[in-house]
Amino acid sequence: MPTTVTPMKVPRSHFIPRTRSGRRATVAFLLALALSQPPIVHGLVNRIEPWILGMPFLFAYLLAAYLVGIAVLVWALRKGV
Amino acid sequence: MEPWVISTGLIFIYLLATIAIGILANRKGSANMEDFFLYGRQAGLIVLYLTVVATFHSAFAFLGSGGFFYTHGIGFWMAGTWTVLVGAITYTLGTRIWAVGRKFGYITPADMIADFYQSEPVRVIVALVSVLFTLIYIQVQAQGLGYILSVATGDRISFELASLILLVVAAGYLVVGGLRAVYWTDVIQGIWMYVAVWAGSLVITYRLFGGPVELWRRLAAERPDLLSLPGPEGFFTPGIWVGMTIALSFGIIFQPHMMIRYFTAASSRTLKILGATTPIYLMTLFIPAAFVGLGGALILPDLASPDRVFPELLFRYAPPWLTGLILAGATAAAMSTLDSILHSNMTVLTRDIYQRYAAPGRSQKHYLTFGRGVVVVLLVVGWFLTVYNLDFLVTLVTLSGAGALQLMPAVLGVCYPRRRLHTAAGVIAGIAAGLATLYVTRVVFPQPLGLHEAVWSLVVNFAVTIVVSRFTKPPPAEAVERIHGEVERFVYGSGGA
Repeated sequence: MPTTVTPMKVPRSHFIPRTRSGRRATVAFLLALALSQPPIVHGLVNRIEPWILGMPFLFAYLLAAYLVGIAVLVWALRKGV
Repeated sequence: MEPWVISTGLIFIYLLATIAIGILANRKGSANMEDFFLYGRQAGLIVLYLTVVATFHSAFAFLGSGGFFYTHGIGFWMAGTWTVLVGAITYTLGTRIWAVGRKFGYITPADMIADFYQSEPVRVIVALVSVLFTLIYIQVQAQGLGYILSVATGDRISFELASLILLVVAAGYLVVGGLRAVYWTDVIQGIWMYVAVWAGSLVITYRLFGGPVELWRRLAAERPDLLSLPGPEGFFTPGIWVGMTIALSFGIIFQPHMMIRYFTAASSRTLKILGATTPIYLMTLFIPAAFVGLGGALILPDLASPDRVFPELLFRYAPPWLTGLILAGATAAAMSTLDSILHSNMTVLTRDIYQRYAAPGRSQKHYLTFGRGVVVVLLVVGWFLTVYNLDFLVTLVTLSGAGALQLMPAVLGVCYPRRRLHTAAGVIAGIAAGLATLYVTRVVFPQPLGLHEAVWSLVVNFAVTIVVSRFTKPPPAEAVERIHGEVERFVYGSGGA
């Protein structure tokens, strides 16, 4: 296998993004993900009313949360994160 | 003409089309391993997009998800969560896997993991876990295919024969055209299944209820228990919700047929676009599934097998030609996943086991011939499992997802540089402990404290990996610096291709 790479002598963790855009994207996505997880979905938004565009509230709420998550990914793509 | 003749005829026309594509792919391809196993690492955006979504969505999306909405209500709309998470995983982890794969010529996940940890036992264990848990997935797809064709023919073709026919077709075009055939058929399958599931559900929803809004109104009036959590049978508890989110996102991504797709991308940009946009397709496919499952719960409340709700509604309330087109779409959904799993298992067994240990140094043609033989064996094993173990589709997918999930600490150790390294011993111990925990928390004491087995097994796996890694020999510095150096360069250096 080819080995012509620059070795990394002093590793820095990749679990925390180093750029501002990277940190923003990570935090925004985790927040969007949290919106679609317990306890929020099993408590606050676990209801049929109010109806949103003819959809029960829980269904419409989750759809919105998913769209926010996708929007964050598209934003990250456009920012080159 | 009787409706079942039209439906069955359309499905068989579809099958003939896939075989023709397989033959065409054979003529376009080259007789080398990289082309046969990895599409020559040149998959562009459209092909890769459609093969990823078609592979991700399977018989489960057509049958299992409708059945789950039917039984457990709106809670299954949580499926959107894991599809969005899959996009983020592709965006962040998938691009790293692509980068090291291209640089160091990896063909399988075990190639990558064993190279980093410099351990042959790790290679064998990763390969075996990959194959073992995706074999279950072959069974799921073959079951779905058996259901579809036997329902389409009004049980004139038995479930056993139906699953065998469709397994043989999928294995046939794979053997003939390799991954190129799989990708090309996935393009058709990805489009067909999306159009089919939306068209079928809208036709049913408008015919039976006058539209989605009226469907929701009737549900609220007649079955409000289907519109709130945790659902009529109390299934969607917080612990199950979180566990399924993890198992059906990370767990599916770590299956070899998904990871191998990352190796095949033409560029990292392709994968990033894929990560940002595939959730749109993946998530929106569950909307029509909700209409079908929830509508079916109102119209056909006493179905013996909830997984059959979609075909049953089609046969009763849709025109035969449309039913045929839609069931062919359902066939596409199952076959696009099945062929990918057969391909990945063939690749893993040929590359990681046969080429490495049984017959090293042979010609590429020899390995391709062996790989084709492996597909035939997998076909027989998959069919046997299908016929002799019928179970609920979603449960099986979850089990297979939680199995592959045990590769997570090992993969993160490769792709995310950090000061404290995982070791080969740590990874092996973690996988063993994770699998043992998976068995205990699923079979012996199912879901203790209401937490899904994926959560239990992953927590134990990470804990054991970290603790054992503290006291055992780290991977050689050369491998760590070479691979983590490449990841560093890719992410924070000049970027990818």
